[in-house]
Amino acid sequence: MVFLSQVINRPIIDRNGERIAAVQDLVVRIGGQSYPPVNGLVARIGRRSFFVPYRHVESLTEEHAQIDTFSLDLQPFQRHDGEVVLAKDVLDRQLVDVTGRRIIRVNDVELAPTGRSLRVVGVDVSARALLRRLLPRRAMRSGEPRELIDWSNVEYFASHVPAVKLKVSHERIARLHPRDIARLIEHLALPQGAELIEALNEDLAADALEELTPERQADLIEGMDQERAADILEEMGPDEAADLLADLSSEVAEEILTRMEPEESADVRLLMQYQEDTAGGIMTTDFVAIAADRTVAQAIDEIRAIDDLPDTLTAIYVVDDLSTNRLLGIVALRDLLLHADAGIADVMTTRFRQVSPDSTIEFVVRAVVEYNLLEIPVVDDDRQLLGIVTVDDAVERVMPESWREQSVNVFS
Amino acid sequence: MKLMNGGVLRGRMWLSRRVPRRLRVVTRLSLPKSGIFAYLAIMGPGLITANAGNDAGAIATYSSAGARYGYNLLWMILLMTFSLAVVQEMAARMGVITGKGLTDLIRENFGIRYTALAMVTLLIANAGIIVSEFSGIAASAELLGISRFIAVPLAGFIIWWLVSRGSYSIVERVFLLFTLVFLVYIVSAVLAHPDWGMAAKRTVVPSIQLSRGYLLLFVATVGTTITPYMQLFQQGAVVEKGISEEEFKYERADVYSGAIFANAIAFFIIVASAAAFYTRGITLNSAADAARALEPIAGSYATLLFAIGLFGASMLAAGVLPIATAASMTEVFGFEAGVSRTWRQAPIFHGLFTGLIVLGVVINLIPGLSLFQVLLTTQILNGVLLPVILISMLRLVNNREIMGDHVNGPLRNIVAWGTTIATSLLSVVAIVFTFVR
Repeated sequence: MVFLSQVINRPIIDRNGERIAAVQDLVVRIGGQSYPPVNGLVARIGRRSFFVPYRHVESLTEEHAQIDTFSLDLQPFQRHDGEVVLAKDVLDRQLVDVTGRRIIRVNDVELAPTGRSLRVVGVDVSARALLRRLLPRRAMRSGEPRELIDWSNVEYFASHVPAVKLKVSHERIARLHPRDIARLIEHLALPQGAELIEALNEDLAADALEELTPERQADLIEGMDQERAADILEEMGPDEAADLLADLSSEVAEEILTRMEPEESADVRLLMQYQEDTAGGIMTTDFVAIAADRTVAQAIDEIRAIDDLPDTLTAIYVVDDLSTNRLLGIVALRDLLLHADAGIADVMTTRFRQVSPDSTIEFVVRAVVEYNLLEIPVVDDDRQLLGIVTVDDAVERVMPESWREQSVNVFS
Repeated sequence: MKLMNGGVLRGRMWLSRRVPRRLRVVTRLSLPKSGIFAYLAIMGPGLITANAGNDAGAIATYSSAGARYGYNLLWMILLMTFSLAVVQEMAARMGVITGKGLTDLIRENFGIRYTALAMVTLLIANAGIIVSEFSGIAASAELLGISRFIAVPLAGFIIWWLVSRGSYSIVERVFLLFTLVFLVYIVSAVLAHPDWGMAAKRTVVPSIQLSRGYLLLFVATVGTTITPYMQLFQQGAVVEKGISEEEFKYERADVYSGAIFANAIAFFIIVASAAAFYTRGITLNSAADAARALEPIAGSYATLLFAIGLFGASMLAAGVLPIATAASMTEVFGFEAGVSRTWRQAPIFHGLFTGLIVLGVVINLIPGLSLFQVLLTTQILNGVLLPVILISMLRLVNNREIMGDHVNGPLRNIVAWGTTIATSLLSVVAIVFTFVR
């Protein structure tokens, strides 16, 4: 086992122990295997860098790299697709520690021989690794405690090496909770954050985006292919999508809206008309409504038949008729379960709180908190049901700023 | 919306058929992101950063410059406007193109030794500034008749407590408002009836004196106008706002107007101080003296006005710098950072953050300390350390692998390298003068 920092700049010697060149870097192939194998060394003589295949390397230690050949190809070193050089592209970069759900900084890279090959096995993130690189070699004895992260838990970013075509699947990221993915993206530089979002399916990308700050959302969506942006926005709650689009330039927002499914974009367009600090601005059109002449059994059947139910379904809304859409009552989901034989009109409650689209957010929150509601309907002057405000969206707007996780690093 | 009425009828189609006509269509429609609106939307980072540079140390330095050398340092302000504009623009451009902060770029491109050097430089420079901000707090408290032995520890604790709880941003705006007081320097300078012809001449025609005091004040003026942390803030703010390449022309205008505005204030402070002290042969030794430059406009309220401005500017920077420094230090070396982490989770972050505040407080509690001297000395320190940051920036911004086609053009390189070489020479001179009397 050896650390990258210990082999960089060491001499390359031939079989007779004579110095030929110095180790400039190590070339590895990333993607595919969980422990990337070292393909070879980048050797340096003066200003010239050239490639030495690993099969010619007999030993690679803290002292030197010994090679078994006298014929070397002095063609200037060039990277191939899928290849990454460790000291330049990995060392000192930010990676994701998937198990720890955090961003790490590569202070050193651990290499270990497996059979005939040498592989990257871990990342050292300890302060000791920093000292190892800062202090003279003699000052550090090896074998002291260190903080190693197994390479199989680490996600590397193709965007660290834009010049090289690199496939990194990031499928392990998809196993994280959207909230954790969002936190990682919030702390990464924009290109790396965009790479993570790009790797997720639309559904998960939408969930993660919803957790990000409006600025970050706008940056990521603007940098994306518009077709994909439209797909992701369709998966988001229409209220979240409307907020996001309102932060984009009107031309880009319009481009994306036209690429969305007409029914989804109609919802979003409707919501975009309301001011942000009103009930209309925070309501969603993602709810289930039913006509009053149905029975509970019919209602349950029909709910089961809906292919994409709202994320949170705590109540259904009873309207007189689809053409007028006047709100008559609300049926809590538990009442639907309890009264299988009744008609909808019999189990609905007609004494409910409601707000109008231009109610202030404070008014909405007070109503929700005072009456212990999970959601509240937004109804216009004609008693027509426009949307609902869920408790999380309402409370989020009045939460003190200090409760939100904030980035402390104003320097970067 | 999902509606059910004998089978499932998708509500979204229903909505697209009839969008309520009575909805007020005022609302959240996006502003056109070009023209003046785009400028206003992006405006901020450059203007705020450049003017945050006009802190306690800057007021002390510019006041001294005017008091001791009259208009003779004004020509520097003109040159520094160009230098500051170019340097800040480089920082903003790097932020836009790379999406990364300055310290991140240094770590990822220069290796660990150089990173350590740059970070130690920054730590010392920022620690110096933090000390100077607490001196500003001490000085403003004393102007108001409050002992610094009470005011400084109290301010330190309040800052530490508010920032730890993440509530600093609320009071920040109040302090920002306080700093508007320094705008009265403009009026004060005019009311003092200075010799405008002479001031104009001295702004355009350089005059150099080869005395120790002149050269040290020269370095202090450079250090306080182009402070290393300003480049970090600028780049960080651009990254945080996610300003795109298309929007960059507006950010550039913001950076330039910030540089011009900040230096205009510096110009008027020097002119007002020159009128109040230099032409009358009065020496300037303390903040109480410096406040007198505001007498032409504020009369007997000059001290109060000056104290409010000084307090606001000092609290503003003293609140931001310790946490920003701690966060960038820990992040660059890959340690846990953030006020939401506990001491056990992020000991280095909390240690640095608290340590910097304690340092700022403790130094200003030394009995018999000349606060004004501390303010000047820390600015000299910043001037001496500036070349390290400037050289890092120039190496990064001219690297095509990082910046692509957005590397510096020849004109910017001439100004930036000129500034770097000049400040390096001045640093050497300052160091020599400090040790050889």
